[in-house]
Amino acid sequence: MTERQRALGGVLSAGVVLALFPALGMPAFFESFLYLIFHWVALATSWSLLSGYAGYFSFGHGAFFGAGMYATATLAGSAGVPFLWTLPLAGLVSAALGAAVGAVVFRVKRLRGELFGLLTLAVTFVLATIVLNTRIDGGPGVYLNNVPVPKLVASPTGTIYLLGLVLALAAVATAYLVAHSRFGLGLFAIHDDEDVAEVKGVPTFRAKLAALALSAGIAGVAGGIQAIYVGYVTVGETFSITVPLYVVLMSILGGARHWLGPAAGAIIITASLYAFTGGESAVLGRAVVALLLILVILLLPDGIVPAVLAWRPRSRAQAISAPGSPVVDNAAAPMRAPAVAPSSPASSGHMATDRPASADHRWAPQRPRVGGSPGVSSQSLPVAPLLECRDVWRAFGGIQALRGVNVAVPAGEIVGLVGPNGSGKTTLINVISGHYPLDRGTISLAGTGLAGCPAHQIATLGVSRTYQIPRPFAHLTALDNVALAAAFGPERATTAAARDEALHWLEFTGLAHRKAMLPGQLNLHERKFLELARALAGRPRLILLDEVLSGLNPGEIANAVALIRRIGERGATILFVEHVMQAVLELSSRVVVLNEGEVIADGDPREAMRDPLVVQVYLGKSHVA
Amino acid sequence: MPSLTLLGQSVISGLLAGGMYALLALGLSLSWGLLRLVNLGHFALAFLGAYLTYHLGTVYKLDPWLSVVAIVPCFFAIGVALHVVFVRFRVSEFTSLLVTFGLTVIVESLIQWRWTADFRRYETAYATASVRVGPLFVPGLELAACLTATLLALATWAWLRFTYVGKALRASAEDPAMAAAFGINHRAQALLLSGLSAAYAGVAGAYVALIATLAPSQIWAWVGVVFAVVIIGGLANPIGALGAGLLIGVSESVTMAVAAPAWAPLVSFSVLILLLLLRPGRA
Amino acid sequence: MLLEAHELAISYGDAPAVWAASLSVEEGEIVSVIGPNGAGKTTLINAVAGLQPFRSGRLSFAGLDLSTVPPHGVCRLGIALVPEGRRLFTRMSVEENLDIGGYRGEARRARALTLERVYGLFPILRARRRQLAGSLSGGQQQMLAIGRALMARPRLLLLDEPSLGLAPAVVEQMFDIIRAIHDEGVTILLVEQNVAKALKIADRAYVLEQGRTIASGAPAQLLEDPRIQEAYLGLREA
Repeated sequence: MTERQRALGGVLSAGVVLALFPALGMPAFFESFLYLIFHWVALATSWSLLSGYAGYFSFGHGAFFGAGMYATATLAGSAGVPFLWTLPLAGLVSAALGAAVGAVVFRVKRLRGELFGLLTLAVTFVLATIVLNTRIDGGPGVYLNNVPVPKLVASPTGTIYLLGLVLALAAVATAYLVAHSRFGLGLFAIHDDEDVAEVKGVPTFRAKLAALALSAGIAGVAGGIQAIYVGYVTVGETFSITVPLYVVLMSILGGARHWLGPAAGAIIITASLYAFTGGESAVLGRAVVALLLILVILLLPDGIVPAVLAWRPRSRAQAISAPGSPVVDNAAAPMRAPAVAPSSPASSGHMATDRPASADHRWAPQRPRVGGSPGVSSQSLPVAPLLECRDVWRAFGGIQALRGVNVAVPAGEIVGLVGPNGSGKTTLINVISGHYPLDRGTISLAGTGLAGCPAHQIATLGVSRTYQIPRPFAHLTALDNVALAAAFGPERATTAAARDEALHWLEFTGLAHRKAMLPGQLNLHERKFLELARALAGRPRLILLDEVLSGLNPGEIANAVALIRRIGERGATILFVEHVMQAVLELSSRVVVLNEGEVIADGDPREAMRDPLVVQVYLGKSHVA
Repeated sequence: MPSLTLLGQSVISGLLAGGMYALLALGLSLSWGLLRLVNLGHFALAFLGAYLTYHLGTVYKLDPWLSVVAIVPCFFAIGVALHVVFVRFRVSEFTSLLVTFGLTVIVESLIQWRWTADFRRYETAYATASVRVGPLFVPGLELAACLTATLLALATWAWLRFTYVGKALRASAEDPAMAAAFGINHRAQALLLSGLSAAYAGVAGAYVALIATLAPSQIWAWVGVVFAVVIIGGLANPIGALGAGLLIGVSESVTMAVAAPAWAPLVSFSVLILLLLLRPGRA
Repeated sequence: MLLEAHELAISYGDAPAVWAASLSVEEGEIVSVIGPNGAGKTTLINAVAGLQPFRSGRLSFAGLDLSTVPPHGVCRLGIALVPEGRRLFTRMSVEENLDIGGYRGEARRARALTLERVYGLFPILRARRRQLAGSLSGGQQQMLAIGRALMARPRLLLLDEPSLGLAPAVVEQMFDIIRAIHDEGVTILLVEQNVAKALKIADRAYVLEQGRTIASGAPAQLLEDPRIQEAYLGLREA
């Protein structure tokens, strides 16, 4: 049985057992208590879909919940729509509200973190005021005691119980499916570093919007059911601070990033509050819950469920082989065989050697490397450059970082990009990969214009990059870091295929034995190679390397250079920024020298570095001694 | 359309209410802007101050102005202690919001346990004092609150602008490493600021006790508006907080006079939403 | 010896940026540290300024072991930094930036005098004293950064890539000013990517490459040293 079948099966069986409870004739207060648990499980789990997974903490869950509650109240109470029909409608109304809020807010890049939280809180207050002052409520509240509750089981309370149960199960199942899907992987990446996620191909705007709409929709249905449960809906009760506060508490307590976390938190908090009901204890109960929250935030920042899971002895053999040297020094690897790391047989997944070195591990179609001076091809057909930057201009504040830069990179070549500090090298990389827009000029990849495309689209077209200071997704394992790039890169692999692909590239960079570790547990050299593996996954057509070698010791540099050479031998097109000059001369077939935003030399590496202008710029004197 | 007198009166009461908002917003604006920590507990602290003023006044017959003298130093110490905890646990800007969320609930619960959820009114002789300006009526206590807010805002602005400590705080907020390179001890300054912010909460609390009706749930009623004032006025901008407070107060008040009272909250929140969406950058 | 660094190892984050850097600066000298980008020059100078803790080795100033001094205590000893990229307090005015420079007690007492000196050196700053630092041009910002450091009345002035992002004419001006400051009795440690400029002004120089001091000595000799070419241009003489 796969893990997925086990998890969903577990949820379903719990559901079946709980569904039978009313038939067993349990006391009413217990039925009520369980309903409340289902209610909060659904609300908290739905909240974490956006806020836990993607990290956009919303304090406005009450708005969606309230919208659903009032949708049902209005439709069933005033308009006489049969109750069951109002539930999907309530969900739709809330989802639409969520989508509308998201469509506006997610376009504004700086509204993250606490500003997003405040904005969602403000939206709740605005909605509450509108509901209070219009015919939706108008003040006195809406009575629902005339609404007939469909008799799915013997009693109306039993029906409500069942509806609550079904919603809770649906919410938890949804959370599980999202967490294990490509969509969820994208959300987790957004949580850790949204800008990098975008550059790796995740359509961040769409993903957040979808998560918010889904989250809001479930909350809306929960509101609809709650409307019938309480029977009398008022603005004060519906839009109070309780819902936004509690869903945050429960999810953080249980673990906002885990699909079961909010459910666990909901159960613990609801049970604790129930234990404190009545008189003074209720008040102190809230204080205790708040204290618990504070302790958990400070001491167990990931929540209870992940902490508990971390304690469990590993049931499956996820053996991490002995570290040894982080990189395999494969001198002059033959062109066709993929790199083989000396990993122990215990490393799970298939061995690279099992797979025949096939064409699918090379970039196709590639041309043989064009030697000699650029622009002059020895072939009969003209070789169109893969990457062509024409007259690129980009300014920051008052500084003109790029002035009419022209660079052409033929397919299959390794081109070095060098220049003194502040010459615009990293800016050029950022502009090509879509991190910044161009002011003027064009950039095209095999004829397709890149300027103006959102970064995730540029990634899908086949451009990938590394960062000088590695920016891995801190909460994803090494394997998932690389799998993300494969899942959202040009090949758009499924999660399973992406993980296979990721494993291949981890082996290539010698990190297979680290695949289950978090980036924080790797040293700098390993993180740089992880960056590299991540850039390679998904088979990009153009790889941009930004100072991969900085911070490495000579031995590590030699390893890295060998790795880059192997990548080049597979036919990849590489444009790399570097300061370690020996490496540049060793690897590149061509060198482009930038100074103050302009190209001052472009050609054979040794010739370029002897160019009087280049020497002048670097050394301040006009000739090489 | 309401009469001129009514409009004038609502402008007055709006200004006075706005002064109260500004008084509450000052401490929050300082700590958020200069320490990069969002202290939701500011409201709980203010209300604790309010309840203490009420308690000292009703049980020990202590004049509110004397209570303030007692409360402010204690609150300063609480502010310092809170920051020590934040530093010890390396609390980030966002985590601070969550932790202080919890603290607010704890303080609210403690208040409710000690003083029950009943509404309480601190009746003093000052409540009846008022000033008449033509046909308009200016309640004395609210006026005092507004004047205190103005004074504190100006004093804080001057302190930040002209003194070495004030400049050091602003420099540290922008680039703590470079500030340290010139001898500024960020840790000590942060403690000072945290204490000061809590002291402001204490002062605001005293006025809340004198002017408003107290109930534990009321803590949350102010959260939205005051955050709106802080953001609209600009972080760490005392004059901005004052101006934004007055502006919000007047717009709410006039809305209440012209349209229905229940529409008032819409004003501040809509302005807040628009500002968050449209203004480039923070502060 | 005013400043002495011996076999310093500094990690930047956990990236070892400097492995073994050694240098010394006598009172009254101008010492330059050159080397290609990524060699660790900024990390080294930041360590001297107290912005960056060092992992191992010895760093002492006027005989005092700097590893025992907290970051905010370095300025009081008489070290002032003009950092790479200026790092001005952009939301504060020109004069306020200068005030921060003169924050430490001894400097504060001599504020009026020092301020006059700085404005004398950089008249444009006097003209723009109330303007926000962020609104100045690149050259003016560099002047303000130097002025800010001078307000601290340092014994040792640290300059990190003062020519970065400046037009050649402005760079000339900058180096004239640096010489003038030195003539007034301030010891200078200069980090610079521009080899010719750095060597022309210095009494002595060190070459840093990939985190190690690989050469040192008189500027004239170093200029012709083939190791520098190799470091900067990657060219090895056959």
